[in-house]
Amino acid sequence: MVADRPPFEDLYRAYLGRIYAYVRAQVGSPSDAEDITAQVFMNAYQAYARFEARNTTPAAWLFRIARNATLDHFRAHGRRERLRRTIEHQPVAEEDPSGVAEERIQYRALMARVAQLPERQRDAIALRHSGLSFEEVGALLKCTEDAAKMLYHRAVKALREVVEKEAV
Amino acid sequence: MSEPDEPEDLEVAALQRLLDDAFETTRPRPGFEDELWTRMQATRPAGSRLRDAWLGLVQAIREAPAVPMAAVAAVLVVVIGAGALVYSGIGRGGAGSTATSGAAFGSEPFALSSPGAFGRLPAPGLARGNTDRPTTAAPQSATAGAAYTGPVALKWTGTLNLTISTAPVFRYHEPTTNTADQFATSLGAVLVSRPAGYLGSYQTTNYSVRVRGTVQSPAREPSYNILPISSTDIIDTAGGPADLALVFLGERSLAPTWQLTPEVVVSGDVAKVTLDRQFGVTGYGYAYLVDDSGARYGVEVDLQGNRPTSATGPMPLNLESAPYSIISADAAVQSVLASSPVPASGTPTATLTSAELVYSLVVAGDHSFYEPSFLFSGTYTVNGTTYVKRVLVPAVDPTQRSS
Repeated sequence: MVADRPPFEDLYRAYLGRIYAYVRAQVGSPSDAEDITAQVFMNAYQAYARFEARNTTPAAWLFRIARNATLDHFRAHGRRERLRRTIEHQPVAEEDPSGVAEERIQYRALMARVAQLPERQRDAIALRHSGLSFEEVGALLKCTEDAAKMLYHRAVKALREVVEKEAV
Repeated sequence: MSEPDEPEDLEVAALQRLLDDAFETTRPRPGFEDELWTRMQATRPAGSRLRDAWLGLVQAIREAPAVPMAAVAAVLVVVIGAGALVYSGIGRGGAGSTATSGAAFGSEPFALSSPGAFGRLPAPGLARGNTDRPTTAAPQSATAGAAYTGPVALKWTGTLNLTISTAPVFRYHEPTTNTADQFATSLGAVLVSRPAGYLGSYQTTNYSVRVRGTVQSPAREPSYNILPISSTDIIDTAGGPADLALVFLGERSLAPTWQLTPEVVVSGDVAKVTLDRQFGVTGYGYAYLVDDSGARYGVEVDLQGNRPTSATGPMPLNLESAPYSIISADAAVQSVLASSPVPASGTPTATLTSAELVYSLVVAGDHSFYEPSFLFSGTYTVNGTTYVKRVLVPAVDPTQRSS
């Protein structure tokens, strides 16, 4: 094992939840998110021997794999299918009527709205709120750090408009 | 995670905080983490897993600080257990770690006690009539040939090297119906009934589960039995039957947390996978769990193609352990030879050529024990048929046994 490369299991435990949340924000459906997350870590597990920490951070490396896996998923299933699943999985109050779960329902609704944003905006929000720096977001989206910041802020504004519109 | 970068207004800032919280709390369902880890481990060759287990063991020993010998022994028992987790395909994410996430059941690490802490131990019920099987049939096969039940004289020609003078004894509390219900709940099963002889019968959407307590004779620990499994429940993974069995068990948080060795018997598209259970013994290595005939056992999973059809295994229970003095190798050999009947005309003589430390279950009411024994093995021939001879000798020093 290379000295500056942590054991894969450490990465797995540290990033599984974040990668899942990132994917979930893209696809909307929990079952699709699990399938894609599983694919991400299977791929990463196979490729970890070739990972070189001096070139990138483990987080950026994993999120790159996750982003590619998500794009592959959309290519395979088509945007229409994605939208159908997103709408299908819109949280409703009946899912969990207890008052304690209200916040969770609100979060699910927000994630579903993120999933409806245009691809780059969705990516910018999901990557940023999964813990990546703007530099890392920019590297993944193939733009500068400043451009990533601008893209992110536009995405948040777009999301706010969607939320406000649906609240009316 | 973050404060908003240059927030333009309070609404945007609030939305960013909401996004932080949403991403922070969006996580996969409980159990997914360990299921996926098990699947990933199952894609690796067994040799690679064994190597990792060994490296983990060596590393842990290197990192152990200088402490009194008793503490070293305690650490080693735990380390061996940890190595077992890795080889079993579970790693730190197996049932041992799921205990911390609340997704697993009854998989606490061994609690170590002082030497002889369980008091005098009941003796293993190993003395029975002869039921030796021919070598030509699989030892655990239902089609094994007829047993030989006559007297057999014993001769020892092997070598038993033993460098340890103590070995751990493991103890569990007899589970209650409440324990069984909790176990079933961890599988996602609901109680249906409590049939006679069982702690409970449970049902999920895909299969039924029966849980029973300790069986007196032949001695068996509390166990679960899963069947029938839905015809749609196909394991989608690469690997052989043993990997499929591990994935199937892992997906239900039932992957063994103990050291195991898989045995696979294949017939057409049907396979029986037995994950033989082993216990770690400091200074010795791993010792198999055997039944009262000396046959290894653990979890059994039946497969038809990629579809599991049934699974039976020990209910996960918390084990306590305490070291006990054991007899020497010479004393074990003397004991096995002393059990040999006086040779009479026509009495076959079994040549015992190998011996190993094993564990067997000793049922004792509220608590039952896994106690060390020596298993001597060899063969003999009667009327042209060669039979396997196994003899179990209790290993715990007689002064620490109640009978």
